Amino acid sequence: MLFPKQMSEVELIVPSKDLVAVTRTLSGYGVFHQVDSAYLGLESQGPNAWQDKAGAYSTLERRIQAIMQNVGLAEEYPVKAEIESVVDMDAVRPGVDRIEEEVKGVSDQLSGERKRLELLESQLRQLEPIADVDVEVGALKKSSFMHSILGVVPSANISRLRTSLLRVPHVFFILREDAQKPVVWILGIRSNSDVLERAAKSAYLNPLSLPDEFGGTPEQITAMLRKEIESAKQRISGFEADLARLGGSYKSELQKLLWDVHISRVMADAIVRFGQLRHTYVVVGWAPTADLEDLTSRLKEASREILIETMATSRSGHHAQVPVALTQNKWLKPIQMLVGTYGHPSYGELDPTLLMAFTFPLLYGAMFGDLGQGLVMLVLGILMHNKIMMKGMQGLGLLIAYCGVSASLFGYLYGSIFGFEGHLVEEYLHFHFEPMWISPMENILSLLSIAIDVGIVILMFSFLLGMLNSIRSQDWAHLLFGHSGIAAFVFYICFLAMLGAFLGDTALAPRVAVAINSLPLPFTTLLAVFGVFVMFGGFFRNMVEGHTLIEGKGVGGFMMFLIQSLMDLIETVISMLSNTLSFIRVGAFAVAHGGLSLAIFSLAGEEPDAGFWITIVIGNLFIIGFEGLIVGIQTMRLHYYEILGKFFHGGGMQFEPLKLSSSQEET
Amino acid sequence: MASGVSGYAAISTRVRAMYSDLLTPQEMTRLGDSPDLPALVSALKNTPYGKYLSGIKDNEMTPRRIILQIRNRLADSYSSVVQQAPEQTRPLVKQLFRYFEVGNLKAVLRSIQTVSSWNSDVAAWDRVREVLFPFGAFASIPAQAMVESGSVASAVDLLHGSPYEATMSFAMKRFSAEQNLFPLEVALDLDFWRRLWAEIKNLKGKDREMGGKLIGSLLDLNNLMWVIRYKIYHNLSEEELINYTLPFGYRVRDEDVRAIAAGADIASVVSRIYPNIHDVNTLLDHPQSGLPKLEHLLKQQVMRQCVSAFIGYPFHIGLPLAYLLLSDFEIQDLVVLVEAKSSKLKDEEFRPLLLKTTLI
Repeated sequence: MLFPKQMSEVELIVPSKDLVAVTRTLSGYGVFHQVDSAYLGLESQGPNAWQDKAGAYSTLERRIQAIMQNVGLAEEYPVKAEIESVVDMDAVRPGVDRIEEEVKGVSDQLSGERKRLELLESQLRQLEPIADVDVEVGALKKSSFMHSILGVVPSANISRLRTSLLRVPHVFFILREDAQKPVVWILGIRSNSDVLERAAKSAYLNPLSLPDEFGGTPEQITAMLRKEIESAKQRISGFEADLARLGGSYKSELQKLLWDVHISRVMADAIVRFGQLRHTYVVVGWAPTADLEDLTSRLKEASREILIETMATSRSGHHAQVPVALTQNKWLKPIQMLVGTYGHPSYGELDPTLLMAFTFPLLYGAMFGDLGQGLVMLVLGILMHNKIMMKGMQGLGLLIAYCGVSASLFGYLYGSIFGFEGHLVEEYLHFHFEPMWISPMENILSLLSIAIDVGIVILMFSFLLGMLNSIRSQDWAHLLFGHSGIAAFVFYICFLAMLGAFLGDTALAPRVAVAINSLPLPFTTLLAVFGVFVMFGGFFRNMVEGHTLIEGKGVGGFMMFLIQSLMDLIETVISMLSNTLSFIRVGAFAVAHGGLSLAIFSLAGEEPDAGFWITIVIGNLFIIGFEGLIVGIQTMRLHYYEILGKFFHGGGMQFEPLKLSSSQEET
Repeated sequence: MASGVSGYAAISTRVRAMYSDLLTPQEMTRLGDSPDLPALVSALKNTPYGKYLSGIKDNEMTPRRIILQIRNRLADSYSSVVQQAPEQTRPLVKQLFRYFEVGNLKAVLRSIQTVSSWNSDVAAWDRVREVLFPFGAFASIPAQAMVESGSVASAVDLLHGSPYEATMSFAMKRFSAEQNLFPLEVALDLDFWRRLWAEIKNLKGKDREMGGKLIGSLLDLNNLMWVIRYKIYHNLSEEELINYTLPFGYRVRDEDVRAIAAGADIASVVSRIYPNIHDVNTLLDHPQSGLPKLEHLLKQQVMRQCVSAFIGYPFHIGLPLAYLLLSDFEIQDLVVLVEAKSSKLKDEEFRPLLLKTTLI
């Protein structure tokens, strides 16, 4: 739970005859992360037929998906899908061809009818600007002396079209101004008809093409077009019903075909990345050590002659190439999502999910403490998680529910319910509700001080986790002299002692800092000594790692090194101060929450009439939506900038096992 | 909105660093001295293009593959500039980058139109993908699905929702009637440049001035070559020439284009616009060989504009644009070298085609 799953490297030598069976096992079990053997220097021998097969399966899969889309079927696999073998293309293709042909016949007609409908509607739109002109449109074509062009032209081309017509006498009307498809009418003398036509054509003017059956005035044509549009819509409905019927009758066959071709494609894709020797294939990858025994026995069932070599990888040291499989827990999924946004843990590194599952709701609740609003968030989160509202946001729903629980608890501690606090509860809600711990509005400085204390504890814990990570990765240089190493940690403790001494017994003084300062230790001397370690951290790290002591000493010489080291120290002090004070926002937002509620009350007035309660309800909704979001962002900010940066580096490679369907992942 | 010194401090520094990584004319000459293609690739591996070529195995060392890998560097440069450019200039850079997507779109359409005899979809896509510019995450066209769709009309249907949908819907009417890609390609070109010019007009101050100067110079080159080629090779009428060209640019004015369209002497118009290009008459006497030479000289004019952008006040979009254009020209030179070495051309056959010379 605290660390990614232990992984083992797996190397397989597979006889050619068992290739498909082994691939089926690897893909079907869903625990094997494949490594492309090309990266290991294994070249395939000659042209790879599997490459072509993979391409052919991929094309066929897309064709089946297109058919399913056409008949309105979701891309689903059969309910009881068996993982069989790579299907023979010649066996499945005729089935796909047959259904495709039948579906295509109807879908082509549907598409043709839709295009016709679009054309009719566009003709109708084009006629609208001249609907009140009482002339026969056909007569324009039959004119003896005039040449007329009526049509739609891209708006960007109008100016150029006008320029191109400058050399011949003409009249140019824009009958309908439209950002996309303006309707224009060009009229010139018949002897210039070639110039007019060429200009219109090269400006991409699409002439209004009314079929011969549409004669008469625009008004008459419009009536005919409307009638045609109606019958086109009816035909479209008919074709859609035909497709739906086809979808119904071919549903199971298409799902089976899709499944067969899909697994064949996945297996062919995997085989393409195998290393090929003369009579055998080399398969390399990773699997969680816990699943190794089961995987091995399945592989041996698939091939008696398979050679399997496994090598467990210890979590210590650097393992950039090891894929990282995190423990799946559906209750922690939203927190994992938040951690994933920051980075994917590397192998051997502490997975901060569990820590964040505790601190995220804690800090959120502390900033947004309100019993009533918290319960509303809890209900909202449960509804979202159970897909009753805002479907597709189950993860976020769970996170909102956690935050809601925490906000309710803190609301109970702060004595706040839907913004009502203290005497307001008795006055308007008619029951007694005292803060169980502290009222933010009445103890502002104390709350700010407590917030800093909480921040200090979290930061110290983060330092310790950073050191733990360094120990696990045997990174002794960073353990001793890194930014979250021992020297920096002791320096931070001394820094807190100084802060405690400086603030003394003021209301804002963090109690942890004051307590540290009261310890009988020579903090000033320690601060100076460890300040030197922090200042020359790079130098000492190089010393431990056996690198050149002063990097780039040729550039600027020793003085430059000293200046850089001094800047490092100043930056460290500033960042420690800002990291610590950053947690003030936890208290500040708790106070701001109370202040925002007061603002709502001042808008609502004093009389508890309907207007008062409407304002209170709207105000509460506003606070939940607006402040709730801001507090969420602040909580994320605290984690990403102040907490995770101390011990979490990320950059791990995600474990992506071979699998045949997305449902395996969910399983 | 960041602009001026604050907005450009980081990107100017980065672009200057990238600019210093461009190949010098001397390096280009040395690359040209490579005896064959493997030697050229080996020499290129010691340049900033090395990391793009290191992944290719010897058996994959085809000219197309090499060119594709080399172009990845330009794609990375665009990606980097898009991310770092001040917000108000990003649409311009993104639109300029679309130049390569327009090229991809044309290549896809040509492949469908001209290679209908290919046996299987797999072969068709595999053959097309290598000539496409590696557009990556910026791509807005489903190239593979288009190639596999089998017909231009179906492929264009797949452009629904892309920036090319409206333009193609107009142009498709003409394609259906003429069964010729020319109207589609012209429509795509005109739309691309109109959008690009509109993005420049959205800028202010120095950004607008430098954008107009550099992109305008590039547009001049295209506009001028269009009108000349359409007139000489396609014998188009005055009104068609006007509709197939654009009325804006940096040096080339609408009157110039219209004069050529109306039948004025092309050489005198070109000489008036570019007095430092000599013997235009001679070039136009033999258009088959002369027009590529003229285009070559016009490209060098654009390169000079780009180089001059690096002199003087640096906090404007001119620097990133100039770098991107120079990078593109450099890759055009490398393409010439790769093709020349793979076809075993003699020095005198390919060296005059190189844009980057000591004269720039």
